[in-house]
Amino acid sequence: MPGPCQNRSVKKLVFIPAWNEEKSIEAVISDARAHVPDADVMVVDDGSTDRTAELSRRAGALVASLPFNQGVGAAHQTAYIFALRNSYGICGQLDGDGQHPASEVARLIESVQAGADLAVGSRFSPNATPGHPGYKASFARRLGQRLFSLLVSTSTRQTFTDTTSGMRALNVRAMELFAERYSSEFAEVESLQQAVRAGLNVEEVPVHMLARAHGDSFITPLTSAFYIFKTLIVLLIGQLRPRQVGQ
Amino acid sequence: MNLTMLFAATEPVVRLTPQARILAAVLAIAFMLLILDLIRRDKLLERYSIVWFLLGLAMLAGAIFPVLLELLAKALGVRDVTIALFSVTLLVLLALSLNFSVIASRQSKQITRLAQQSAIDGVEEEKPEVESKPD
Repeated sequence: MPGPCQNRSVKKLVFIPAWNEEKSIEAVISDARAHVPDADVMVVDDGSTDRTAELSRRAGALVASLPFNQGVGAAHQTAYIFALRNSYGICGQLDGDGQHPASEVARLIESVQAGADLAVGSRFSPNATPGHPGYKASFARRLGQRLFSLLVSTSTRQTFTDTTSGMRALNVRAMELFAERYSSEFAEVESLQQAVRAGLNVEEVPVHMLARAHGDSFITPLTSAFYIFKTLIVLLIGQLRPRQVGQ
Repeated sequence: MNLTMLFAATEPVVRLTPQARILAAVLAIAFMLLILDLIRRDKLLERYSIVWFLLGLAMLAGAIFPVLLELLAKALGVRDVTIALFSVTLLVLLALSLNFSVIASRQSKQITRLAQQSAIDGVEEEKPEVESKPD
C-alpha cells in the first residue's frame, strides 16, 4: 500500500462540521469529493434536527452524529479524535453552509504537505488570490474581524487576518494538540493562540470564499459585541495558561 | 487612642435575641431533615450532601451556643453579631456556588467526551472498513 512518495501514502480526511445544513450539505460533499479525490469525506453532524445526516450518508460521506448539539468546537474535536484513532495523517475541514470551496481546502492540504502544522484559509489576507476581488462582508463584521485579528496577532506575535476562519488543514501534530484540549465556544480564535504557543508552525493562506448560499450567520450586532468581549477574556486567559507541548 | 480602646471597640454589643435563636435552631433541624429525606429519596448524592449537612450543623451550633457567634464577631473585628453571621454566610454560599460551577464545567466536559465517543463509535460501526488503530 505505501506508495513511492511519502505524501501520497498519507491517509487524508476532509470533514465538514454541520448543524442543520440539509440545503447545502450534499453540494459541499460532492465538491469535497471532486477536489480532494484521495480523501475520505466525513460529516460531523452536530445534533442536527433536519435531514443533514441522512442526506450526507446518501451522498456517500462518513457521518459522525453527535447525539445533541455541542457547538462547533466539540464537532471539530470529534473529527480530530476520529482521525487520530483511524491513522489519518492529514485532515482538512470546511464549513457545511457552502461558503468554502473545496478547491481552496485542497490548497491548504498542500500547505500542510509542504511543512505547515496548521494551515488556515484567510478571506481578508492582503495577498488575495488573483481573479477574486475578495470577500464581501458588512462593515460591522469587518470591524469585528479587525479587532480579533489585532488581539490574536498581538498575543501570538504572528499576523493573522482571518481569525474566525473555519477553513483549515492540519497534520497529526496539530490534531493531537486539539484532541487533548479544544475550546468549545471560541474554537477558531483560541485554537490559533493555542497552536502558536505550543510551537506549531501555523500558516495563513489567502483563499476566496463565497457568500452564504442558505441561512444566516448567527452573529447579530448585539451578540457580536458580547462575543468580542468574551473572546477578549478568553485570549487573556489563554496567555496565562501553561503551554501545551507539541510533539 | 490606645490599644485597650481598640480592643474594647471589638467587644460584641449586638447579640441574637432568644426568639431568633429558637427560630434558627428549628430551621437548622428542618434543613438537616430535608437533606436526609433528599438522600433517602435518591434526589441528592451523598457526596454533595455532606457539605450541606455540615452547614446545617453549624447553624444549629450557632443557635444553641451564642458564644460561638460572639467569638466569630470578635475574630472578624465587628461589634454586631448579626453582621458577622451574614458575612460568613455570604462567603460560604459564594464558595459553594463556585464549587458547583466547577462541578458543572467538569460534567459538561465529560458529556462532550461521551457524545464524541458515541459519534465516533457510530461511524466505525457503520463502516467497519475504517479500521481502528489498536492501542
